Amino acid sequence: MSTATNIVTAVRIHGVDKSFGPAESAVMALKQVDFEARQGELIMLVGPSGCGKTTLLSVIAGTLRADAGSTEVFGQRLDGLSQEELTAFRRKNLGFVFQSFNLIPTLSVRENVMVPLLIQGISYGEAAIKAGAILAKVGLEGREDGSATALSGGQQQRVAIARALVHEPPLLICDEPTSALDKDTGGKVMEMIRDLSHSPNRCVIVVTHDQRIFRFADRIAEMEDGRIRRVVDDPRQLETPSY
Amino acid sequence: MYRLALNMLFGDRAKLAMLLCGLSFSALLMAQQSSVFFGIMSWTYTPMVNIRASIWVSDSEVEQVNDAKPMRDTDVSRVRSVDGVSWAAPLHSSIMQARMPNGKFKLISLVGIDSDTFAGAPATLTQGNIEDLRLPNTVLVDEWGANLLGHVVIQPDGSEKIIPLQIGDTFELNDTEARIVGICRVKRAFTGGPFVYTTYDRAKAYTANVRRALSYVLVEPRDGVSVDDLRLRIERETGLKAWTSDTDLWHWKEGSLARSTFWWFWKNTGIPFSFGTAVLLGLFVGIAISGQTFYSFVLENLKYFAAIKAMGASMGVLARMLLLQALTAGMLGFGLGVGMAQAIGRGMIEKGMPPFVMYPQILWATFVLVLGISLISALIGMVKVARVDPASVFRG
Repeated sequence: MSTATNIVTAVRIHGVDKSFGPAESAVMALKQVDFEARQGELIMLVGPSGCGKTTLLSVIAGTLRADAGSTEVFGQRLDGLSQEELTAFRRKNLGFVFQSFNLIPTLSVRENVMVPLLIQGISYGEAAIKAGAILAKVGLEGREDGSATALSGGQQQRVAIARALVHEPPLLICDEPTSALDKDTGGKVMEMIRDLSHSPNRCVIVVTHDQRIFRFADRIAEMEDGRIRRVVDDPRQLETPSY
Repeated sequence: MYRLALNMLFGDRAKLAMLLCGLSFSALLMAQQSSVFFGIMSWTYTPMVNIRASIWVSDSEVEQVNDAKPMRDTDVSRVRSVDGVSWAAPLHSSIMQARMPNGKFKLISLVGIDSDTFAGAPATLTQGNIEDLRLPNTVLVDEWGANLLGHVVIQPDGSEKIIPLQIGDTFELNDTEARIVGICRVKRAFTGGPFVYTTYDRAKAYTANVRRALSYVLVEPRDGVSVDDLRLRIERETGLKAWTSDTDLWHWKEGSLARSTFWWFWKNTGIPFSFGTAVLLGLFVGIAISGQTFYSFVLENLKYFAAIKAMGASMGVLARMLLLQALTAGMLGFGLGVGMAQAIGRGMIEKGMPPFVMYPQILWATFVLVLGISLISALIGMVKVARVDPASVFRG
């Protein structure tokens, strides 16, 4: 998607460390990680369980602070921001697709999608219109007023994608978006993520260990033991992964 | 977000029902027990409500209206002689045993009023004529007493039926006949016995002509003379104690016999402690049930709050969402609880006991306490939500 002539960096991570637990028995989840994601691309973070994918994603999303190193998203250094500033940054710039969907069961499909807009202070009526429009795009027209929990897993993830994109964030963070879905549904969901989110101004970062969806990536960053092992343009360049 | 907060609350019907149960039970307990407390306390100064006169003069040792210290009949004349008095009338008040035609004894409150002016007579007579009190051995009985002292008739099916006393029926007071010439409507007394009204002189006869039968002197000031001024003047000139007859709990002042009675019962009986304990119990039960239920509501929704937090909702927005949910539940619980308390109270009033007085102040106090419980519940939830790590949403 991106070309060598107009590469714009969306996310730049440099020398990031992150450990958990008390100092004497700390577990290093990230070790001097350097990572870059570009505008207009869909990049996947892959690797075995416990390699630090989710920790790196959390640092990029500004929900977790690194112990050392720098985190820059769209030119904004996150490590220097206060908690309130980080919250405001996420509100404006990030969309999330979670592994377990995290749709609120007591709200309707439409209301779930409206959440990011309402957080931004958009009126209920306007948010409802925008949510309806994007739900139509993900093929859930007519299901807007039903309960999100009445939908199938694939449909729920489509609602989650609609929720992640409704406020048009420049960075879309997807955490294991297909792990709770079967192969066909997972493929369709990834197609949807690729088709709806791919735009020159948006960067999509997908954490996964689902090899079936590697083909949707523009680039793949393979992690191992808290480090980026390598970044490849073609999934076939990866050795047969064991994860 | 606030509309969504309400939808989240109303969407979980089971939790909402549990929350409302806790809050409404708490509101019910606090409002109902407080209302019964004030109802019972209002019974303690019932004579002040039933017998209307601006000033009540008593022996200087009197502390509460039900414990009159006998005075001399001449004290009425002494009071009359005080400048500013329009009229002064004697009043007898005592507890007696009435012997019914079936030989059973019943406790009554005997009230002897001035036979010339009938000052102190009940305001409402539902049957009979007050003038008939001038006839020999005649009395008035209150409606409740007419039922309480009524004849028990065995029905063909074996059940008992009470035939209320009627005009013309008789009973005995101290071996002297008392013939009913009227039925009156008055407020019931704390002592439990019905009011039996007769003239002052006959009351003396019924009490076997005790040397001192005067309980109170009822006084009305002349036009233009203030009650407070006259009260103080009577005390100064007679050495007796003069009281105002103000029975408004929320506005009575120093010198009100009803106020003095209220506080006497407050200090010398276990009534406030007993009801206070029930009100506190309601408060604690409310905090425990509502706090626990709201906490579990927050706990069940924690991953969604974490997701909303990750999406960029500030803690302020989340706190206001929780506050709105808790306060909405609180207001609904208050409405339900107070509604139930009112319904129970109405049932009580219809059956005659226990007394039930729900002052607006009780409603306000209950409202404030229930909202306080909701606020505590919301705070517990806020602490949990504040501590939740938004990064936890990435942990599956």
